[in-house]
This record gives sequence, structure tokens and C-alpha cells, in this order.
Amino acid sequence: MAFREKIAWLTLVTMLLAYGVYFGIVGPAFGFGKADLVHIIVSFGLVAAAQAVVMIVGSIVLAILGRREANAPADERDRAIERRGTMAGYYVLIVGMIVVGVVMPFTNPPWKIINAALAAIVIAETVHQVFVLLSYRRGWHG
Amino acid sequence: MARRTLTNKIRVLRFHAGEMTQAELGEKIGVTRQTVAAIEQGKYSPTLETAFKIADVFDVPLDEVFRWGER
Repeated sequence: MAFREKIAWLTLVTMLLAYGVYFGIVGPAFGFGKADLVHIIVSFGLVAAAQAVVMIVGSIVLAILGRREANAPADERDRAIERRGTMAGYYVLIVGMIVVGVVMPFTNPPWKIINAALAAIVIAETVHQVFVLLSYRRGWHG
Repeated sequence: MARRTLTNKIRVLRFHAGEMTQAELGEKIGVTRQTVAAIEQGKYSPTLETAFKIADVFDVPLDEVFRWGER
């Protein structure tokens, strides 16, 4: 498995776990900031920080295990696959931002808008990583 | 109608080049071993530049490495 594919797996798994915990456990526990918007910063911040730590440690471990590959720059296939993933994620993010920034302000309170924006970012990044992984697994002729 | 696709003879050419490994070929053309494997399996179509580099390594014309046809 290519080093960058392993990094994509690590990113996807840590992200789904972290934000699954936020939207499933930590967010509801803090009422998603309904009572006080600062609760969003605290709860989401904690989850994001935990994810960042796991990502950093995981990336270091993967880099040590595959030192030669980790030092090599991305080749043309890596770049083509990354472009495909970024493009797919971008379209999802644009739709999410239109909903969050243009539609929701008319009908929803701030705490819902903020959480919806965070969800849109997580979904867009998930789509990005899924496209990257599918391209590595099933091939991509970009 | 049969689906036409890019096919290649890299595996055969590697064999005739003293069983050159995918990693060795990758090093010569500036891509990873996994990318060489993906090209061989038809999972990735290389850029024109890389295709010419591969032909150059084996010292054969481009159309002896890659063909546009049925699998």
C-alpha cells in the first residue's frame, strides 16, 4: 500500500471517529452550544485537538515504518488522485456552504448554523478522502 | 462493442531487462513502485512524459510499450 494511501486511511478513520464522537456524544452533551455558543468552541475544540494529536502521532509512525517512501515527493499518480479527491470534496463543500451561508440564516439560530457548517466541512473532507482511497484501490486514469 | 483501453507490455519488458523490479523502474522514471504496479495493471494511465521515459528505459519505441486496443 502506498504511503499516501495509508495517510488517507488514517485521515478518514480518525476524522470519522473524532466527528462521530462530536456529533454523537460530545455535541449533544454540550447541547451543541444551544445555551451558550462558547460550548461549541470548547467541545469541538477538544475533539479537533484530539484528532490532530492522533493524526500527528499516526503520521510519524507511518513515516518511520515507511521512511523511504515518506521522504519521496508525491509522484504524478499521487497528484492526479489528490486533485480528483479535492475536486469532489470542493463540490460538496460548495453545496454545504450555500445551504449554511445563504439558506439557513433566514430560518435557523446561530448554534445550528455553526454546527451545520462544521458538518459540511467534515462531510466534504470525508468525500475527499473516500475519492482518494477509491482511486488508489480501483484505479484512476486522470 | 468491445471496450478499448490502454494496454502495455511493461511486465514483459521488465522480464527481458534482467527481471528489473518495479521499484527499479520507478526509480529510473521518477515514480513510486506502487505507481509502476498500477500502470502495469491498467489501473493508471501515465502522462505522455512518463510513457516516453518508460520506453526510453527499455530502449524501444513508445508503441512497443503501450497499445490502444482491446484487453
